[in-house]
Amino acid sequence: MTVQSIDWLAVAAPTVLAVAAVLVLMVDAFVGHDRLDLPGDRGSGLALLPSALTVLATAVAAVPTVLLWQEPVRSTFCIEDGVEGPLLCSFATDGFTLVFWGIVLFGTAVVALIGTASVVEGRIPQGEWHFLLLSSAAGALTIAASRDLITLLVALEVVSLPAFALAGLRRGDPRAAEAALKFFLVSVVSTAVTLMGISLLYGVTGSVFLDAVAASVAQGAEPESVLIAGALLTVVGLAFKVAAVPFHMWVPDTYVGAPIAVAAYLSVVSKAAGFVGLMLVLGRGLPGLADAWAPVVAVMAALTMTVGNVLALRQDHAVRLLAWSSVAQAGYILVPFGAVRPGAAGDALAGSLGYLAVYAFINLGAFAVAAVVGTRHPAQRLSDYRGLIAEEPGAGWPLAFALVALAGLPPGVIGLLAKVIVFDAASSVTWLVVVMAVNVAIGLVYYAKWLRELFRPAVSVGASTYDVPNGVGVAIGMTFVAGVLFSVLPGWLLDPVLATLG
Amino acid sequence: MNALVLNGLVAAPVVMAAMAMLVGRRGRAGVGVAAFGGLVVLAWSVWAVVVSTTALDGSHVDVAWVEAVGIRWHLGLDGISAPLVLMSTVVFACALIALVRNAPEGGGTTALAVLLLVIEAGVLGSFLALDLVLFFAFFEVALIPMWFVIDRWGDAHGPRGEALRRRAATRFLVFTVLGSALMLVGFVLVRAEAGTFDIVEIAASYQPSGATALAAAVLVALGLAVKTPLWPLHIWLPDAHSKAPTVGSVVLAAVLLKLGTYGFLRFWLPVVDPGWEWLQPVVAGLAVVGIVYAALACLAQTDLKRLIAYSSVGHMGFVVLAATTFTLGGVQAAVYASVAHGIITGLLFFLVGAVKDRYGTGDLGRLRALYGQVPRLGGLVAFAAMASLGLPGLAGFWGEMLAIRSAVFPDGSLPRETFVLLAVIAAFGVILASAYFLAMIRSAFQSGETGAAPPEPVVRGDVTAWEWLTWSPLVAATLVFGVAPGLLLTPVAEATVAFLGGLR
Repeated sequence: MTVQSIDWLAVAAPTVLAVAAVLVLMVDAFVGHDRLDLPGDRGSGLALLPSALTVLATAVAAVPTVLLWQEPVRSTFCIEDGVEGPLLCSFATDGFTLVFWGIVLFGTAVVALIGTASVVEGRIPQGEWHFLLLSSAAGALTIAASRDLITLLVALEVVSLPAFALAGLRRGDPRAAEAALKFFLVSVVSTAVTLMGISLLYGVTGSVFLDAVAASVAQGAEPESVLIAGALLTVVGLAFKVAAVPFHMWVPDTYVGAPIAVAAYLSVVSKAAGFVGLMLVLGRGLPGLADAWAPVVAVMAALTMTVGNVLALRQDHAVRLLAWSSVAQAGYILVPFGAVRPGAAGDALAGSLGYLAVYAFINLGAFAVAAVVGTRHPAQRLSDYRGLIAEEPGAGWPLAFALVALAGLPPGVIGLLAKVIVFDAASSVTWLVVVMAVNVAIGLVYYAKWLRELFRPAVSVGASTYDVPNGVGVAIGMTFVAGVLFSVLPGWLLDPVLATLG
Repeated sequence: MNALVLNGLVAAPVVMAAMAMLVGRRGRAGVGVAAFGGLVVLAWSVWAVVVSTTALDGSHVDVAWVEAVGIRWHLGLDGISAPLVLMSTVVFACALIALVRNAPEGGGTTALAVLLLVIEAGVLGSFLALDLVLFFAFFEVALIPMWFVIDRWGDAHGPRGEALRRRAATRFLVFTVLGSALMLVGFVLVRAEAGTFDIVEIAASYQPSGATALAAAVLVALGLAVKTPLWPLHIWLPDAHSKAPTVGSVVLAAVLLKLGTYGFLRFWLPVVDPGWEWLQPVVAGLAVVGIVYAALACLAQTDLKRLIAYSSVGHMGFVVLAATTFTLGGVQAAVYASVAHGIITGLLFFLVGAVKDRYGTGDLGRLRALYGQVPRLGGLVAFAAMASLGLPGLAGFWGEMLAIRSAVFPDGSLPRETFVLLAVIAAFGVILASAYFLAMIRSAFQSGETGAAPPEPVVRGDVTAWEWLTWSPLVAATLVFGVAPGLLLTPVAEATVAFLGGLR
């Protein structure tokens, strides 16, 4: 038994977040609830300490991510497959991993900043909130680097378990508790189903390592029917996480019941973790079975975007609308999966990754503004956004930009190009792309409805302005600047992202 | 021709829009700046056309934009796009100048002018783009601003006016986006077949064949058919045109519809194989159905603006019919008819807007004997209507005449009998067009049989000096292109041969 040498640079990013999580918990213990969570103006500057620590942790974790970018391929926690066989590793980084780390770190920082809107409210325990956030984000980083099914599942649970608690974080709110419970039950069931699928895959191929599974499938492991069953069950489990139809029922209630920052987290980071799980299991472990699972995912993608868009049409609650729209967007991200052919997973999945990267900061931008408006209009009716451009241009224009980018129209060029990329990646499945094109038009109706409110003259001109918390202001600024910058120079974002898989 | 000229042509409206917005924070000076901006862009487009060559000669702007998927920032100007660019900048300049003195209800005229400039940037970008995705992106630029123009400044009179206006705006937006999304699907399929988004390369070397290529051509045609619009996808158009404010209708009819027809010439012909048995005849058939349908619909209209809107559907039918013939004459006819329609229908919408402003209604049942009250305005309407129905000697004549001629002599691989039949039906549509325009003039301007008195005007007075200033460029262009068609036909022919090669 030899002691393994660990590639510390490769594992640095998740480690930093995990350590920071413990640190935040200790700050909470030493400083104490009563001083962290005072509501309103009685609160001291200390209340912002956990947020600051979280943002700092994501910045520190970004350092190894950037350092790795030049030579991204690293692996650690390996075993030898037999005496002469290839090295099988549980944890590996490559360009794909790093892109995803970038999404998670950016997303977590923005979510932490959005969370500062709730400091004033004083109903969210700051220490716990940031501890849970960092823990979950550490899991999200790990899942992108996991290369065996067990690590992947454990990492997925590390993402999910804190998320249940996050969903129910608001003290004394029965809706939040209900949301958390619903989310918890759905997630547990999905994990069980995924485990079942993994056990079948392991049973047939004799390995949990994705590369070994892929090799075994390529050599024609028998019986194939069990393999396919295993693949589909794993897909079902992960489909719960990304809220694909018909496994989406938990989304609207959970998003509305949870604090807005948590909804933002669920819709971007936690959802992205689910997509990475899907990409790894299907694209890396089971590309040989694409003929079996690709049509299933294609149908799922078509259903997901159609149901999401059609139900979003009827919403008058901004967060609920964003919830359904994020279901629809998940459908778009699933589209390239439907175009995967055995042996050529990368080209298609690059489309998903590119869309995910764009969707992440656009959607966070929308949630950040919703958090600002929520401080004055907790009911979040669309009419509460009336005149936002005139009243608070600093929040109104970024929201308008985010909405047109989500709809995929200029000036949100980056949103438009994201759709082009998905179309391009999936062009071999023409029917699915046509369904998506129709959905883009449907989606426009509700984005336009919201947009119209923003530009309507305010009810009372200059009567009052929003008191935008500094943290949320920074979050809005970060996402807005990213959106505008990448709309002018889309190559800066899309070229490196697509190159990692293309 | 350097990058500054082409990039600048797209950027100039945006810069002027930003300036108008800054100046327009207070007071109405912003509209003046925007009108000046319209003139600057016009001058710039003239410069660009003067320094450009009639055929694409490789001196265009071509840099990588999103390298990973092969999207390039590829702009160029040739004899096909130049006439449309000039027509657009003239119409936009007229519309912006008109805004200075004639602000629509709803306030915020500066914002309206800024939106018009943004639309102009999108339109000019679309005409210059030589990359499929870039064309699509510019195509979409105009949508949200146009939606705002209809939604905010549109006509909300009458019962449920606001709801109807909102419906017209949303319908415009959804239809157009649906069309362009399908077009985008077509474009990525073309790339899957041809290996590039670059239309110059595609036109030079792509040989469409097989099911995917056919699907791509059908999807591109569908998308453009919504925009153009082609029957039966025109149903967004009458509402959008009749609800939009005057300048909105002018821009929508004169310029935005041309994105569709230009798309047919530039981005559809290269991805189509004339040997396909049914695609071109079906598209041509829909175009001709549109001509006849629009003419019959016009005969039944009771609203002036809706009448002009439906007449646009008919005119666009001629353009598409010409494009589907796959001949040099067809492309010439299509460009000519597009430019002529832009000038004439732009003018018509201005005039009809002026009538509506003066009498507070566009209802043909109430407008009577207007010659007696506003003889000059009436005369201009008659002039524009004559031009629109294709009176020889005015701009509208050549486009329709050449379109019918090209349909009689289509490309050799197309079914000639079908096209001749279509040409005959289209010629019948010309006669119907004369019928509805003459009926309109008789009922609204001459004293009808009943001899009823004209309605009481809301605003008195005939054509003002400012209106003369706004409209005279369009009137002059109608006359010039009516007597000197060679101005346009020669460069179009040269550019078409260079771009598409083997057309007859």
